[in-house]
Amino acid sequence: MLKNYLKIAIKVFLRRKFFTFISLFAISFTLVVLMVATAFFDHIFGIMPPEVNLDRTLGIYFASMWGPRASRSGDAGYRLLDHYGRNLPRVEKYSILSEPGFGYSFIKGEKVKSFLKRTDGEYWQILKFQFLEGGPFTVEDEKNANFVAVINEATRTRLFGNAKAVGKTIEVDGQRFRVVGVVSNVPIFRIVPFSDIWVPISTAKTDSYRSELVGGFMAIVLARSRNDFQMIKDEFRSRMGHVEMTDPTTFSQVFSSTDTFFEAVSRMFFSGRRDEESHAGRLLASILIAAILFMLLPTVNLININISRIMERASEIGVRKAFGASSWTLVGQFIVENVLLTLLGAAIGFVLAIGVLQAISQSGLIPYAEFHINYRIFAYGVLVAVFFGLFSGVYPAWRMSRLNPVEALKGASR
Amino acid sequence: MIKHLLKLVWNRRRTNLLVMIEIFFSFLVLFVVAALGIYYGENYRRPLGFSYQNVWHVSIDVKQRSDDYFTAEQVETTKQLLLAARSFDEVEGVAGATTIPYGMGRSTTIYENGGKRVRCDVNEVSDAFRDVMNLQLVHGRWFGKEDDGANWQTVVVNQKFSREFFGTDNSVGKIIGTPSNPAEALKVVGVITDYRQDGEFSSPENFSFVRKSLDLPAGADVAKIDVRRYRPPRNLLLRLHPGTTRAFEEKLINKLQAVARNWSFEIEPLADKRESSLKLRLAPVIAVGLIAAFLMLMVALGLTGVLWQNVTQRTKEIGLRRAKGATASDVRRQILGELLVITSLGLAIGVVVIIQFPLLNLVGFIDSKVYFASLALSAGLIYLLTLLCGLYPSWLATRVQPAAALHYE
Repeated sequence: MLKNYLKIAIKVFLRRKFFTFISLFAISFTLVVLMVATAFFDHIFGIMPPEVNLDRTLGIYFASMWGPRASRSGDAGYRLLDHYGRNLPRVEKYSILSEPGFGYSFIKGEKVKSFLKRTDGEYWQILKFQFLEGGPFTVEDEKNANFVAVINEATRTRLFGNAKAVGKTIEVDGQRFRVVGVVSNVPIFRIVPFSDIWVPISTAKTDSYRSELVGGFMAIVLARSRNDFQMIKDEFRSRMGHVEMTDPTTFSQVFSSTDTFFEAVSRMFFSGRRDEESHAGRLLASILIAAILFMLLPTVNLININISRIMERASEIGVRKAFGASSWTLVGQFIVENVLLTLLGAAIGFVLAIGVLQAISQSGLIPYAEFHINYRIFAYGVLVAVFFGLFSGVYPAWRMSRLNPVEALKGASR
Repeated sequence: MIKHLLKLVWNRRRTNLLVMIEIFFSFLVLFVVAALGIYYGENYRRPLGFSYQNVWHVSIDVKQRSDDYFTAEQVETTKQLLLAARSFDEVEGVAGATTIPYGMGRSTTIYENGGKRVRCDVNEVSDAFRDVMNLQLVHGRWFGKEDDGANWQTVVVNQKFSREFFGTDNSVGKIIGTPSNPAEALKVVGVITDYRQDGEFSSPENFSFVRKSLDLPAGADVAKIDVRRYRPPRNLLLRLHPGTTRAFEEKLINKLQAVARNWSFEIEPLADKRESSLKLRLAPVIAVGLIAAFLMLMVALGLTGVLWQNVTQRTKEIGLRRAKGATASDVRRQILGELLVITSLGLAIGVVVIIQFPLLNLVGFIDSKVYFASLALSAGLIYLLTLLCGLYPSWLATRVQPAAALHYE
């Protein structure tokens, strides 16, 4: 039966090529836009190496403190993270890292700017970087302030050409570091793992950072499972009530929170500095509403085309009805046809989306960005396509099934 | 005639309703794109208020995370940097500034007068800033050495702020706010035309310049001193002789590095900064425009298909009209007329929805001029679009042979 439907469908598609073309164009274009948007979303929030444990990772990104006359907010400070973020319950590992800053090196007299991140040994245990040579620096390296560095592939090419880098020395901001490892590039949107050069925190030129509550650092918290998130958040929040303030006359209170990366982003958009709530639901709702709004026009367009396609086949439907086909059979047939067409459009859309993403990756607009269609995005795309096909097929099919056989045979016009 | 057309449209209401909905959504999309386009176009035409040609930007990294404190030594070093840069023949002027044109950062404050609160961008700059950036003064003067001993902070504002805050174009001599401590008072000494720091595509904002001094009062304690007035700037702006090449960069950086060994510097011509800033601002607009263009192409194709199908379905009706003596242009007029009616109905719903935007405060960034212009433009575009879609089907309708059409009955 299905085989027959498919045969008829293909015949119909080929008979009215213009309509088939319009449908395919609409479907594939819509899918391309949605796929590219999803790929961006996945690129920012999805689980991908080195953040393989993202589903059970929390972060402490922001902090703010205020007093009667002054207030400060920004990234969290080292003292806050060091004194109040460690030893949270049911936490496997904990790492502190600086926000990405810049470091300057000289190559043959020419100045080169790189992103520089200061971090600790646990960082390399939570994040699974792909090492091209050597390995990470260790907890001891950080404790003893050893001048060791991990660099990424792009930096190796820039500083050493294509030669091996491990064991060689690089100079950053006048400090000399021995390279212990080279990792593959990480895109700039992944704020936690992204950098060009990583060095131990303790190699900083001054240790003034050790006394600051706000500014310059963030932390990642690897929980045993995501079911423990609430417990960790509650504990950290209650600790914020007992932070020892260095100068209570200026700053008397401090606020910070443990968030997933998505919550942190929505906090940036929707939350005030001292807002307990991250409003992650609101961000998700905004994204979904935007997607639905975008899909409305293509859907209406497709419904219109489908109705036209059906009405054109009124006499065929009339014949089938006259020979006893039930309305449901006809609806079923038409929906199968429509889903087939949508999947065809989706296939074209995928190919185009891959092309668009490759063009964006290669344009160099976003440093180290590598957009791919992975199985998550693929599954999502197929889901959208099938939904699209069903949704735009149901109303026209219902209209068709209500055609009066006698009128249909004559070629009904209404 | 119109009544008759409405009747024809009503007779095929189910098909026409869907076409109308499609036109309604297309109109909304066109409105958003038109509003964006007109808004950016309007801004681009406005005067910038400064000139970026032959200006280089030097950013100073003092290797300190916080901006909240500084030392007397840093102030002195910064002062030496300005002098060192000024000593080159290639350099016509050097100014220090907290934020720079086409930079990412901006600083905003709220000025209060009585119960009135006005949001305003602030930049703290040194005396040479006006000459380096070529600002256009309309009233009063720019600040200078004569303000050294002043008991207040000297401020230059733009016309927009002056009008909004003081209700007059010329606010020279007026004080912003009613501070209890006279040293915190801000006194306006001059008014400039405008200064759109974020570049050509930004909308005009309130702007104020606060005088930055690098001469610390003798014996002053930097921990207690007014931060805004004396905090050393992290940006230098250099006006160069026309024709100075990038080769000068190395000479400049070596000299600056000799003054401040532990700091690092980065040099970029403002023209380059401008290019990347404009690119960054335009990229999302171009993306939205491209998507909208494809959407409209899709709608146009779909609409053509639907109308085409309608005409083929109505062969009998058209054939009858031709047989009764209607000319080809009569038939064409009927098809396009019906389409016009449907478009107008879709448009009417669209306008009703769009009228809600300002009421709900959804479009804060556009003013009424841009709003109405984009309404008119998008309405015109939607008529053009449907007309184009109707051309081929209506031509097809005129080809109907009465004999062939009636033969089916």
